[in-house]
Amino acid sequence: MKTVAYYKGCLASLSAKELDTSTQALAPKVGLELVELEAVTCCGAGDIHEAEPDYYLHLNARILAYAEATGADTLMTVCNVCTLNLRQANHALRGDAALLARVNDNLVSVGAPPYSGGVEVMHFLWLISVGEGYELLKGAAHKGLKGLKIAPFYGCQILRPSKLLGFEDPDKPESLERIIAACGGEAIDYPAKIKCCGFPIIQAREDVALAELIQPIEQAKEAGADAMVTPCPLCHLSLDAWQSKLRKQTGKDFQMPVLHLSQLIGVAAGLDSSELKFKRHVVSVEPVTERLAI
Amino acid sequence: MALKIWRYDAVKGERALEEYEVDAPDWATLLDVLDIVKDRHDGTLAYRKSCRMMICGSCGMRMDGAAVLACKTRMVDIAESGHVPVISAMGNMPIVKDLVVDMNPFWGKIRAVQPWLEPGYSDPGEKEHIVSQERMDTIHKESLCIMCGCCVSECNSMEADPDFLGPAALAKGMRFVGDARDRATVERLQSYSEEHGIWDCTRCYFCQERCPKGVDPRDAIAKLGAEAMREGIDSDMGARHAKWFVTSAKTTGWLRETELVPKTQGIAKSMKEVTFAMGLLKHGKVPPPFPPHVAKHVDEARALYDIVKQEGAQGAAGIVQSEHALARLEFVHESGAEERDPYGPDSFPEPLPPGEGAGQ
Repeated sequence: MKTVAYYKGCLASLSAKELDTSTQALAPKVGLELVELEAVTCCGAGDIHEAEPDYYLHLNARILAYAEATGADTLMTVCNVCTLNLRQANHALRGDAALLARVNDNLVSVGAPPYSGGVEVMHFLWLISVGEGYELLKGAAHKGLKGLKIAPFYGCQILRPSKLLGFEDPDKPESLERIIAACGGEAIDYPAKIKCCGFPIIQAREDVALAELIQPIEQAKEAGADAMVTPCPLCHLSLDAWQSKLRKQTGKDFQMPVLHLSQLIGVAAGLDSSELKFKRHVVSVEPVTERLAI
Repeated sequence: MALKIWRYDAVKGERALEEYEVDAPDWATLLDVLDIVKDRHDGTLAYRKSCRMMICGSCGMRMDGAAVLACKTRMVDIAESGHVPVISAMGNMPIVKDLVVDMNPFWGKIRAVQPWLEPGYSDPGEKEHIVSQERMDTIHKESLCIMCGCCVSECNSMEADPDFLGPAALAKGMRFVGDARDRATVERLQSYSEEHGIWDCTRCYFCQERCPKGVDPRDAIAKLGAEAMREGIDSDMGARHAKWFVTSAKTTGWLRETELVPKTQGIAKSMKEVTFAMGLLKHGKVPPPFPPHVAKHVDEARALYDIVKQEGAQGAAGIVQSEHALARLEFVHESGAEERDPYGPDSFPEPLPPGEGAGQ
């Protein structure tokens, strides 16, 4: 069992609770003991970085510090945007002793623990798509997916910028495909799987965002996908909840079920419906659950 | 080695994927291979080239769907792997012929950001106005742009909104916003903050990934956003969206999701979203704002906010970059190269008058 500090982030705490419950239920089956961080805040999602850069750095340093205080060497995220924001801050703090010292002075002055730079930020996907986690996953996914055609959707901030992320080839990622295969599904390929879902500007520039969002859903549909899977709750929210807006705007009714990564594996691993919480999805997941008779 | 090239004839509107087998030396770049194709196999192949040393920016094109400079891309590993790469024209620009795209929309956007210095005087005087090397180093990355279009080719927002200024033009804008001699900062930031500007960027980071020169255009756009907000140019919905994250963090610690829509779009516009919101509400996607979800020890996050407002590097100087610039402003100040903070309340210092520059 590998012990990791678990950073839920905002969405898994609130509007995407199904991501949290399925992750927590799945973790022990794939060799992860999660120590949930409670005294932490939002990572800023790139927005605080732009609005108040120094505040962004301090909030993320504080998250890293609380993770380090658990004794774990890994901070596990379940969101692309949290992953990039935390890794970016970690990169800055580790690379600049004077900056780290100033931030630590401030953390200590408000009663938070200092950060020594000893935590690696890793997305859940990265921990279970290789090595021991992957071997355990293959065993845990005993119920399989009966050859269901799954469209992997990576999203942006788990691939790019690769200088800060760098887990796999940002143009030819294969971690999700490996996991889909291990779960007994068939991964389908389509060009937009590494493109943007439009979420960061879906409120400020909805038309632009929707023109981005339609690409992966349409391509996945055309390639015959039964469902999509994503490692990011923000991608999930736009792919799932904004499909109705695409229907309104374009007349195309995709009815494409979108699963969180932990739900896809969770189905194959036989998690309970109270942990999968498919009722929380806007687009019905029934076509999938019926095929699998769950 | 073998390669496939998407040929295109704009006059006939015909498109075809042609395969070529060529003998190329180990040191050959993609540009060398294209030269061999043109010289020995098919003289009608069209592509742009000039310097063949990564500085003119002419030979941007796509290999296997990703924008590259042909002269920077060595082919030996690909040839030895047996992979047959597919070469095509860059994206987001109309194709003229084969691998040649019409760069006019690109240049139009570069011009739209006024890519020249606005020094604020008409008579430059008799001597140079010298800026320290360290100060110039802070915009070194943005200055590296060779305007090849590789970033624009891959920009997801521009694909969705062809009027988006895009990564190359905005990085060029930051090159002038960050220039100590420029006097049009506020006007620039106002202009870049309009529709199709800074807040159109969807943060897909393709520009950052593809840029062959390390400009990191997305970082430059973040710097512009930070500078605009520092100057109080923050009425765009994108800026209001960003500000709500700060408010959330310093009040409850977590994002106050449900209030984000009215805070970004305003009450009137967000009222139109009621039907949509009701659909989400059924599935628990609209968490009730009361009682708020408050992070444990959130008082620490509140106290940190007060501290950073006192001492923090605000604006572009605070942006964490994928690749550090050659110099950061605080290093400039430590070196004593410049006494006044060019990002401070007095904004940019006057250029050194004749006779007072370095080395005088």
